[in-house]
Amino acid sequence: MADNWGYVAVAYAVAVVVLGGYWRRLIRRERELAILNAGVRNDGMSRSQQPSETAHPRSEPGKRHSLP
Amino acid sequence: MTTVLGWLAGLGLVAGLVMGFGVAPREVTQGNVQRIMYVHVPAVWVAYLAFGVGFVASLVYLARRRPGADRLAHAACEVGTLFLGVNIATGAIWGKPTWGTWWTWDARLTSVAVVFVMFLAYLLLRGAIDDHERGARYAAVLGIVASLNIPLVHFSVYWWRTLHQPPSLLKPGSSTMPPVILIALLVNFVALALLGAYFVARRARVLAAEEEALA
Repeated sequence: MADNWGYVAVAYAVAVVVLGGYWRRLIRRERELAILNAGVRNDGMSRSQQPSETAHPRSEPGKRHSLP
Repeated sequence: MTTVLGWLAGLGLVAGLVMGFGVAPREVTQGNVQRIMYVHVPAVWVAYLAFGVGFVASLVYLARRRPGADRLAHAACEVGTLFLGVNIATGAIWGKPTWGTWWTWDARLTSVAVVFVMFLAYLLLRGAIDDHERGARYAAVLGIVASLNIPLVHFSVYWWRTLHQPPSLLKPGSSTMPPVILIALLVNFVALALLGAYFVARRARVLAAEEEALA
């Protein structure tokens, strides 16, 4: 019988894509949740000390003026 | 612990590839296409194991209502479905050159497709119910019912006339496989089992983090 290496390659490629894709998805989700939960855990004061998502520099919390 | 599992799984997969392609010989009847077996068969064993874990965890959840058991059941059933998907896909790819068809509605293939669809329904059910406690309860019942079909899949090749061959290993009596092929198969099973355990541990951690984010 012919060896059909092409079928072997496709079978292993499918396994790599499916399992590798799932692994990458898990890691990405875990990273997203870590950031989200870290934000939730911190109160407003400490959250304001983290870098802003838009990369704008933030002033120190103590130097901020309250809104009138 | 999870990181160690991940590294062990990675090393196991490398060892499995070496065994499957470097050490195990070319099969006389089918030729090299038989090497698909080293991913096809271990994938279904890992799926069986994961569904077994999901079955026990679902029972524990229904009895004790522990969130940890629900997370374990969810993670195990999801990972089991993933590995069953790999098993079905690689089986179809193996079937084309050996049977002349990608798919046929024989008892083994049909029963495994039914279990796959049931676990897809399980995962959809998880996402469809907003009330987390109610969703977990319904999913536990569906997970138990779906897992009870696993023996049907396994014994279908004995109970009905099928195109699929009977088991070579998970059967009464000694294996008819040459030892080198058997060892290659077992190495690949251990590797995929470690990978499955690693996925379940990570998925359970993600589920815990998702619950924390929603709380």
